[in-house]
Amino acid sequence: MNSAQLIAIAPQLILSFGIVLSLLLIAWQRSKWLIQGFTFFIFVLALIATLDLYPIDNIQVTVLLLVDSYSLVALVLILISALTITVFSGFYLAKYTEVHDEFYLLLQLVILGAAILVISDHFASVFLGFELLSMALVGMVGYFRESDHGLESAFKYLILSATASSFMLLGIAFIYGTTGSLSFAMASNANHLIDHLYLAGIILFLLGLCFKLSLVPFHYWTPDVYQGAPTPVTMLLATVSKVAIFTVLIKYWFSQVNYGDESLTEIISLIAILSMLVGNVMALRQNNIKRLLGYSSIAHMGYLLIILLITSTQNITFAWQAALFYLAAYLLASLLIFMVLIVSHRKNNSDQIEIVHWRGMFWHQPWLAMAVIISLLSFAGIPLTMGFIGKFYLLVQATQQQLWLLIATLITGSGIALYYYLRIIFVLFAQHQEQSIAPQHGDIDNIFQPVIARVTIAIFSGAIIVIGIFPDVYAYFLSA
Amino acid sequence: MIALPFEHILILATTLFLIGFVGVISRKNTLFILMSLEVMLNAVGIAFIGAGSVWQQADGQVMFILILTLAAAEVALGLALLIRLQRKFQSLDIDILNKLRG
Repeated sequence: MNSAQLIAIAPQLILSFGIVLSLLLIAWQRSKWLIQGFTFFIFVLALIATLDLYPIDNIQVTVLLLVDSYSLVALVLILISALTITVFSGFYLAKYTEVHDEFYLLLQLVILGAAILVISDHFASVFLGFELLSMALVGMVGYFRESDHGLESAFKYLILSATASSFMLLGIAFIYGTTGSLSFAMASNANHLIDHLYLAGIILFLLGLCFKLSLVPFHYWTPDVYQGAPTPVTMLLATVSKVAIFTVLIKYWFSQVNYGDESLTEIISLIAILSMLVGNVMALRQNNIKRLLGYSSIAHMGYLLIILLITSTQNITFAWQAALFYLAAYLLASLLIFMVLIVSHRKNNSDQIEIVHWRGMFWHQPWLAMAVIISLLSFAGIPLTMGFIGKFYLLVQATQQQLWLLIATLITGSGIALYYYLRIIFVLFAQHQEQSIAPQHGDIDNIFQPVIARVTIAIFSGAIIVIGIFPDVYAYFLSA
Repeated sequence: MIALPFEHILILATTLFLIGFVGVISRKNTLFILMSLEVMLNAVGIAFIGAGSVWQQADGQVMFILILTLAAAEVALGLALLIRLQRKFQSLDIDILNKLRG
């Protein structure tokens, strides 16, 4: 391994080294601010290293890893969410007197897993990254063992994710059995397509990834785990885990020669259509905001699957750009709304926020309410927000490939989605009802709003609008 | 030494895998669910070793070691959660955990 290769994986090395140092730091001194500051510092270092590497020519680091510009962009997105999650975990954990070092340690492990996933080019490294990500996430989901739903969510997540990993592994074993190679490019061979075992292998492998992306019909865990997990962990599940796994899915798919294969294409279209419809329809009757966001993420991942349905190699560059733009839009909007969820936690310290709890928020917390509105409009894909440009990319991609049925579903799905997004916005502007049995005015404890939280929320709201008006800012970065 | 055909290994692995999967979805006791998960993972391990011996490579066995590590980590997490479950509800029945719905 030469120095160029070592430099190419510098972000991953920094993260791994940071984890070891954090362990030593905990042994030396247990302090809330020290560990949080150190975690933040490690993520900043990794982010600087990544930005410094970008743009990069493809560098193969052993057979396991392949660093390219697209994976670096995905890594930047992951590290940005990691930084915000570190800051907001601090606010969330501030109400506990105990020192929660392990929380930050698990967070670093999740980010390392995600960072390995985005650059992996081999089934063994996919497996390692995938499990590092999921096992650490199980620990985080069940972190507050005394909470009402922590145990339930962690158990559901553990059992379902372990089952999904076994299916994925069986798929890898089938692919390996037929092709004799575990690397993405080598394991792809058009001659094998007639082999049922090979096809079964690909389908089982995709099934494992679909589970993590919570696509229909593997979505049952999503709303429960989203609702039961502590809010910063839900934020992590909704952003980092989705971005990393979607990136590796695209990377795998585009390195294959068989993406034009009809039976696989049909399966993916079907999953995409079902996810868009089921996610949006189920979100309609949710009252818990985290649960609603869980269902809406199912729909968003369904939209994103359109990217996979390309027919020729010429489309790969555009497909990557579309995917990274949409992922960025989804990530920023998700981070923004989860930040608001964390700072508007209720007086009784419960993090189960229902839509009614936000009633009239605009009249006493106008800036917070504006952030929610911007994030929801971006989710819905309204012009002048980043989400609109993201959907535009997807539609261009789908039109080029003439996927009319998927376009129709995407538009229907977005229409349904508008209903529940607007419902929240109406509640924000509603006046307090005297006779409402629902929690009264002042149920939301808004006293706790440090300056850093306000500034971060403002920056993210600004970024969504600015990139929505001048998409070139980000698109230029992508095409560098 | 008689070389086993790859199909036979695959049939064995798939059968074990399905037994494990049925166990995961039909068992009520958490301990048995965790055991069924182990059966699934080890079935995959057999498939990997079989595939590795067909291609005369060490890759299959390397994957098996990785799977063993995963299985150990998973069981550690699973048993920790199981103890919480036992302490909180004095039962290992998975059906207690169905409060989140909608």
